[in-house]
Parts: sequence; C-alpha cells; structure tokens
Amino acid sequence: MKQRSNRFWLWLLGALMVLSGAIAFWVFTRTAAGTTAVVTLDGREVCRVDLATLTEGYTVSYTGEGGITNVVEFAPGGVRVREADCPDQVCVRQGWIKTGVAPIVCLPNRLTIKITDGQPGQLDGLVR
Amino acid sequence: MTTKRLTTCALLTAIALTIFVAEAQIPLPFPMPGMKLGLANVVTVYAMFALGPKDTFLILLSRILLGSLFAGGSTLFYSLAGGLCCYLSMVLLRRFLSPKQLWVCGAVGAIFHNLGQMGAAILIARTPQLIYYLPVLLALGIPAGGFTGLAAQLLKERLGDRVP
Repeated sequence: MKQRSNRFWLWLLGALMVLSGAIAFWVFTRTAAGTTAVVTLDGREVCRVDLATLTEGYTVSYTGEGGITNVVEFAPGGVRVREADCPDQVCVRQGWIKTGVAPIVCLPNRLTIKITDGQPGQLDGLVR
Repeated sequence: MTTKRLTTCALLTAIALTIFVAEAQIPLPFPMPGMKLGLANVVTVYAMFALGPKDTFLILLSRILLGSLFAGGSTLFYSLAGGLCCYLSMVLLRRFLSPKQLWVCGAVGAIFHNLGQMGAAILIARTPQLIYYLPVLLALGIPAGGFTGLAAQLLKERLGDRVP
C-alpha cells in the first residue's frame, strides 16, 4: 500500500461516518421484542421484571464491585436509573427506557438494563 | 533512554493527563455511554509522529493508568482496551500517511478506540446489546478524532522536527 491522497481519506472516512449515522438512526427507531427489564451487574444478571405486569412502581439499589450505587426505578411500562453516585451520570440522564433496543448503561459501575422478551437468550446461555 | 527523552515523555504524559482530566469536566450534550471528545488523543497522535511508537506507547499507557485514578469507577479496562486498539491501528497506519495526513490518524484511531472499548464493555458487562451504541459512537467519533488529529498535525507543523 502506498500513500493515498487527502481526498481518498476524506471520502473513505466520510462514507464510514454517513453509513454509521444511517445505521444509528435505524437502530434507535427499532423497538424491543418484549416488556421484560433485565438488570445486569458486574456481568451477572441480578434481576428480571416484566414491566407489563407491574401495577405500581418501586426502586431497588444496586452496588457494584467498584462501590458505586445505582438506584433503579421499575414502573409499569418503563425502567430508569433514578439516581447514581457514578462520576458521569450518563445512566441517570438516559432517562426511562420503555420499548427501545438500546440498553441503559452505567459503565463505571458495570450495570446495564435492557428490555427483552423474557426468554433467556441464546447468548445468555452460551455465556453461562 | 536518555534523560532528555525521559523528560519529553514525562512532559507529554503530564499534558495528556491534564487534557484528560479537564475534558472530563465538559458535560456531554446528550447521554451516550462511552462518548467523549478524546482531546488527550492530540498528544498520542503528535507523539506517534514526532517520537515514534515506542515512546508513544509509554506515554499512552502512563496516561491511561494515571487517568483511571482520576476518572473514578471501574473504567480502567475500557480505556485500556480502547487505547491499545487505537495504538495498534496508528502504528500500522503511520507509514502510509504523509505529514499532512495526521488528521487521518486521529480519525482512524477514534474508530479503533471505539471498537476496543465496545468489545471490552460487552465482555465485562455481558450485555451484547451494547453494540447498538456502536454506530452512533462511530458517526460522532470519526469527526471528533479527525479534529484532534488535525490539532496534532498543526502542532507538528509549528514545532517542526524540534521535540519539546
């Protein structure tokens, strides 16, 4: 491979950017297959709640190995991190998730919350 | 390693760490796990072309290890995976780029940083669905990386072959 022109790189990287943007748009307009919220902490599933059958909301606190705590609020039809003492607060600002495929993530505490169809997935089975 | 080389590496590590800590204070426009400007990468790109891969590795590794002390939480493994992927891509790409193309190094580095970080996050959190964030991280990371690379390029042009 030889050196390429600036124009070559501009087109290549520009195309990658537009393609990623298009896929991102497609991803965020998709909806999840079910109504079950699955909470994972430090790589282990710690909670599974069917949001469709809830009649009133409640909160649960999760403290990871790093000593950070996320207060997760389950409510009929949605789940969110209500408060957290992580440094970036990204999980709190993500707000409620209801039907989206993108999970809530607290990277510093290794906590994720996703919406699934309630069936243990193949990937889950493989990991265990 | 001569004393001058050691001092240069220490200086660049200190600059990178300062940028890293200062950047963490900038609030994100919207919540996106794993998203950041990556301004500390200016130092990595600059060092890669001004000092070479060996010194850059030491600077990058020191910055990541020290940076994780300031970041809080268990973020070391994400940064380490992202940083190493980014570093390897830059080492391979380096010889195919002219001095006017450091911005490419920044953009490609950003892509591989995101790939490495995403891989680590999926393994650690055991949540494959995190991959849904990858496209948006790439779409935003490519221009951000391009600009940090461009900053390094302009810095290199100003300093010439003089190493600080």
